[in-house]
Amino acid sequence: MSDFLNTYGSLIVSMVLGALLGLSLYLPLMTGQLSLASPGFYALGGYIAAILSTQVFRVSGGLFPIPLLLLEMLVAGIVSGILGVMVGIPALRLRGIYLAIATIAFVEVLRVLSLNLDITGGAVGIFGIPQPFQTPIEYLWIAFPLLIISMVLLYRLERIRAGRAFTAIREDELAAGAMGINPTYYKVLAFTLGAILAGIAGAVSAHFLNTWNARQGTFDASIVYLTSVLIGGTRTFVGPVLGGMVFTALPEILRGIADTSGLPTWLAGFLRDGRLIIFGFLIVVGTIFFPQGLVTPELFKRKMKNKA
Amino acid sequence: MDITLFLQQFLNGLSIGSIYAIFALGYTLIFSILGIINFAHGALFTLGAYFTYALMGGTFGFNGLFANASLPIKLPFALALILGSTLAGLVGVGIERVAFRPLRRKGSDPLLTVVSSLGVALVIVNLIQYLVGAESYSFPANTYGNLPPSINFGTGENPIPIRSVQIVIFSVCVIILAILTYCINRTKFGKAMKAVAEDPITASLLGINTDFFIVLTFFVSSFLAGLAGTLVGSSVSIAGPYLGIAFGLKGLAVIVLGGLGSIPGAVLGGLAIGLVEAFVPSDYSAYKDAFAFGILFIMLIVRPQGLLGRRLIQKV
Repeated sequence: MSDFLNTYGSLIVSMVLGALLGLSLYLPLMTGQLSLASPGFYALGGYIAAILSTQVFRVSGGLFPIPLLLLEMLVAGIVSGILGVMVGIPALRLRGIYLAIATIAFVEVLRVLSLNLDITGGAVGIFGIPQPFQTPIEYLWIAFPLLIISMVLLYRLERIRAGRAFTAIREDELAAGAMGINPTYYKVLAFTLGAILAGIAGAVSAHFLNTWNARQGTFDASIVYLTSVLIGGTRTFVGPVLGGMVFTALPEILRGIADTSGLPTWLAGFLRDGRLIIFGFLIVVGTIFFPQGLVTPELFKRKMKNKA
Repeated sequence: MDITLFLQQFLNGLSIGSIYAIFALGYTLIFSILGIINFAHGALFTLGAYFTYALMGGTFGFNGLFANASLPIKLPFALALILGSTLAGLVGVGIERVAFRPLRRKGSDPLLTVVSSLGVALVIVNLIQYLVGAESYSFPANTYGNLPPSINFGTGENPIPIRSVQIVIFSVCVIILAILTYCINRTKFGKAMKAVAEDPITASLLGINTDFFIVLTFFVSSFLAGLAGTLVGSSVSIAGPYLGIAFGLKGLAVIVLGGLGSIPGAVLGGLAIGLVEAFVPSDYSAYKDAFAFGILFIMLIVRPQGLLGRRLIQKV
């Protein structure tokens, strides 16, 4: 067991973080808004944790105290949330493709800034971020409760007034507005919740990865997280969680398959290096054949009926 | 800033701006017909540069599957440019077939088409990386024939030297724009294309083969992307498979600034962004990209329809 945890510990934690990012992208999608801003907030949260832990809370020797880590997560969440409201209020007046473009622009501006500012360490980034745990797997003590809490909150959210308002806006914004739902308020709410979650996940990731640089929140990253949500499912929060986990693990799975003996060399090489080609292919196939993703609410309903 | 430097920067801005314009025109053509952004446009830009490079007999690097390979032919630049862009155009037609048409037939949410074009971009860019590696490539030294590296303009004691590559690029772009404007405004094809853009259903009722014009638009659009990619590649170098992603995002800034779906808007936006970039003070040149995206973000919020776009009408 300990062998298993040593080998796959960091992969398991990455999967949980991937699921959190999937959820952060899913939140704006609940109101039908395609926002690609999550990686920006993720990068921001990571930089906040990296700067705080290396420059503000100087801890000499030993492990980084957990309460300080929690404080960093809180700060990252609050800052991301405030920025989320500031960006969300003007940006969410835009619809569809215009919103997607605006969020891409937002992420790019953040990326260029982080590449050039002194405080973010320029192109090199920030390294030597102190570790609160001895081994990677212990990050589960932070990441796993975070995922469970987020999932419980989303489970509740889908069943209260706000969540129903989200769905109403997704299905028909004009009709929802006519019913007395304030679309802008709920769209900004969903966007900001996603931003907070991405910021917190970024703060944990920065410690977990030990270094943080501008490559963490790029356009490429947006697409990979978007894939995980779309393939997982866009109609229930279980989809993004599963999608985020599977897509984080996929490179390792492919490498595992490539290492099995007996495969032709070209196929093994393709499985090892062609990961993003396979991702792209899955996106195209997924959007055409599974427009709502693999996990849909109907799937659960059918299961329930079968049991009854 | 003295007058020499000013004129040089102005011409720099004009030549990069005209490439932005050509590139963004392709984006805008597809947007005006289908109402969506083809995110694979940047990938086609990269592909065009690689096709032309290969057709000119260029050798690939040592990282990919085709390490150190080269085609047995060596075409002159002008011919390779046209052929390479045509190949990019054909790939664009293929993309329409695979990633756009099935979704259109199903009447899916347009956002899904945007996502599937993102998938195509991911496939193309990484396929290039997988096949020929991630290195940068420089076009052969004699790409532009026997043109001198720069030509002096003006008389007297301080003639102004201008890179001849930039003059070639600018001329090619002006010629392409002239041909395109003529075709769209004066020929039957162009008028049919505009009709499809205006209202595909009515156009098809009037006997216009909508699918054919959508395919044609994809071809023209991808051809222009490939052409722009080659021009950038030949004047600087092909900076690896990801060249087009950065350019593609910049192209978004251009068309939003000019107005989504507006052809003169794309040209104006391209020149504007090119000139702004050329005149960003050198102290802030690292923030050049942030300027473009900052303009884009502000433009979307202040005037989403862009400088020359039509007002956004919300369909109920």
